[in-house]
Amino acid sequence: MSKLMSSLYGWVDERLGLEELVKFAKKKTVPQHQHSFWYYWGGISLFFFIVQSLTGLLLLVYYRPGPDAYESVRQITYEIQFGWLIRSAHAWSANLMVAAVFIHMFSVYFMKAYRYPREFGWWTGMVLLVLCLLFGFSGYLLPMDELSYFATKVGLEIPAALPAVGPWIANLFRGGLEVSEQTVQRFFALHVVLLPMLFIPFLFIHLWLVQKHGNATIPSEMEKPEYLRRSIPFFPNFLMKDLALWLIALNVMSLLASIFPWEIGEPADALKPAPTGIHPEWYYMSAFQMLKVLGNVFPGALGEGLGITIFTLGLILWFFIPLYDGKHENGVKARNATYFGLLALFILIATTAWGYMVL
Amino acid sequence: MNYPVWDVPVIGSGWVIGIIAIYHTLISQFAVGGGLYLVLVEQKALREGRADWLPRLKQHSKFFLIVTGVFGAVSGVGIWFAIGLANPESTSTLIHNFVFGWAMEWVFFIVELTAAAVYYYTWDRIPRKLHVQVGWLYAIASFCTLVIINGILTFMLTPGDAWIEVAGTGNESSRFWEAFFNPTYFPSLFLRILICISLAGVWALVSYSRIDEHTDKETKAELITWSSKWLIPAFVLMPFFFVWYLFSIPEVNRGLLQLGISTIGSGAFTQVTRISLVMVMTTATIVGVVYFFARKSPQDFSFSHGVAVLMLAFLANASAEYVREMMRKPYSIARHMYSNGIRQASVAKINQDGYLTKSHWTRPATGSETSPDVVLAKGEAMFRGQCLACHTATGYRAINKYLKGREYASIKMLVTTLHEYAEDSPYRKYMPQLAGKEDEIAALVDYLDYSVNKEKSRIAQLMPTHKQEVVELK
Repeated sequence: MSKLMSSLYGWVDERLGLEELVKFAKKKTVPQHQHSFWYYWGGISLFFFIVQSLTGLLLLVYYRPGPDAYESVRQITYEIQFGWLIRSAHAWSANLMVAAVFIHMFSVYFMKAYRYPREFGWWTGMVLLVLCLLFGFSGYLLPMDELSYFATKVGLEIPAALPAVGPWIANLFRGGLEVSEQTVQRFFALHVVLLPMLFIPFLFIHLWLVQKHGNATIPSEMEKPEYLRRSIPFFPNFLMKDLALWLIALNVMSLLASIFPWEIGEPADALKPAPTGIHPEWYYMSAFQMLKVLGNVFPGALGEGLGITIFTLGLILWFFIPLYDGKHENGVKARNATYFGLLALFILIATTAWGYMVL
Repeated sequence: MNYPVWDVPVIGSGWVIGIIAIYHTLISQFAVGGGLYLVLVEQKALREGRADWLPRLKQHSKFFLIVTGVFGAVSGVGIWFAIGLANPESTSTLIHNFVFGWAMEWVFFIVELTAAAVYYYTWDRIPRKLHVQVGWLYAIASFCTLVIINGILTFMLTPGDAWIEVAGTGNESSRFWEAFFNPTYFPSLFLRILICISLAGVWALVSYSRIDEHTDKETKAELITWSSKWLIPAFVLMPFFFVWYLFSIPEVNRGLLQLGISTIGSGAFTQVTRISLVMVMTTATIVGVVYFFARKSPQDFSFSHGVAVLMLAFLANASAEYVREMMRKPYSIARHMYSNGIRQASVAKINQDGYLTKSHWTRPATGSETSPDVVLAKGEAMFRGQCLACHTATGYRAINKYLKGREYASIKMLVTTLHEYAEDSPYRKYMPQLAGKEDEIAALVDYLDYSVNKEKSRIAQLMPTHKQEVVELK
């Protein structure tokens, strides 16, 4: 049997050059130190993306956008065999993916893995983050129940607050002045065609860059002499651990999907008053709360404009951080970048918590 | 209702049994499989001259003694307290039927506990051959406890036709053996044996993960590898025994497993299907984790890996026990006693004579029979006696949540459906028949209506305070 397998492997290898890949993977190493745990979060994000693609594909079989949207999701949840499981897995892994991407981003930031020569890794990662958030936003409306309808309505207030172009962007998303069946149709196209079309190429570039430059060594390790730095081979050691963590991720997601399946609320009704305490998904809560607070301090368009301007400026700074702190030096710039990261993390957590407290 | 009702807020009395029982089975099944494990490893070490294994095995037997003799034994007593309080009527029936079974089991317990202590304290003090014999004594005694308790546990789901014939006649113990070797006895026994064997391996992995890989690299790798093999029989044979078990239980119980395949509708037991999925998922994950960590790099198997496998085993065990308990609904003893302690055969008589007339522990309500206070007191007594065994007011399986949005007429219709218990009623699958005279049933409707709708309820309109408010408003 093993002889047959090895001759089959030889046949394929001769044509595809598998051995070169294995050699490359074996040569590649991953630094090993007390913060190595954070290296796995990119892989976990990728795992959840794979789950999203597979479960999304299955949901596509039964989901009907437009006027039937609510009814089709109701059927998936309450009538079709294991429809509820696929939908719950999709919804839970979406949330877990956003959480994993945030953890991945902050761990890359604090390990200073955006520095030379990994700037493009950081930038493609930021593009992927924005696309990921848009995936979440567009997917949330698709069941078209009361909660998703009003949350989308509220969520669209964020881009609508942009000076000059804001209302135009909001109308483009909505397909009119109000969230309607047109919006569901547009969000569906965005969710299953446009966003994947953009996401997948960026993902490949991102992964290729990780392969090309390898995992960054953290500054405290870089200070050590070469012979004191430890590392493990990517193949099979790191990959095995990666797969084991994927297994844990799969378990967490399955437990959540089985024990807390995703319900569907009442059908959306524009004529009904919004339920109390309506708010966007947790990953938009920070932006939502900041806009709300600034809107209270500076009433009218000024507050909204100011909020969006501060937010945009912060994002630009965050995006271009490799240009500011790009060298492997632990000087003032490195310290400032760390403080900026801590401030961003604090604002994100504090405003999110604040948002939930005042609901 | 011959006993007082044990009201446990938020989680309900059933979960008190559940929590203790899940914790207990994780240990007691280890106690059975672990005995066989200890003696077989010792024999292997002696036969193959592996002197380096013996000190490790001694350490493991200490761990074993403490886990099973202290935590296992204490939680076993805890189950008795919990079932006696939560389900006194069923406990009484089981004791009346199986008193000699339990007497035998306790003899084996004493032998088991003594042998475990002797086994540990005589390491290196008595001849090896004798020590192994003590190990075998333990293994056999602990296996016998499983053989006995399995008969009682499976009886509750499938008491068998022979026992049902005499149920309620006072002659139940005459069918002891038929009840004991009931239709699910053997599939369940084989399933549990497999679980015991795999748990012996899982706990051994936890124990050996503490071995220092720098000083005892080889011993650690060998013991971890050998222990991981104890999981193989379960993973190969379990699916077959599980199918055998499923096809040994009545179709109506099996049907509960299928309720949640196509829906997550609440209040319809769909969670049984979902929890079964958790069981399958966690069991499959154990295979993966043990393969990746214990088999592929045994010397690197850390304590956290061991605990992770144990936690997964805990989840798998908890899900399996939960599903097994749920499949018995609406009974605590199938075809004989409902989960609220009412005998199926007594329902007609209760409907005629009343439920509360036999409830010695209910405070008699004073005043006119139709005054709102008396009606609510009667309704509450009905709720406590017949609903509280499975539901809570606002916590687990909360009545207030299930009835939210329903008005008096709708609640009345639901309660009537449960009282009439028509042949084609979907509730028959998982809820007992509601027993009582018409006025008691009506009082329960008013009580539930009042719990959910408060001042908007029918009975609130009749309360003097409400009338007073109306007059004041006018």
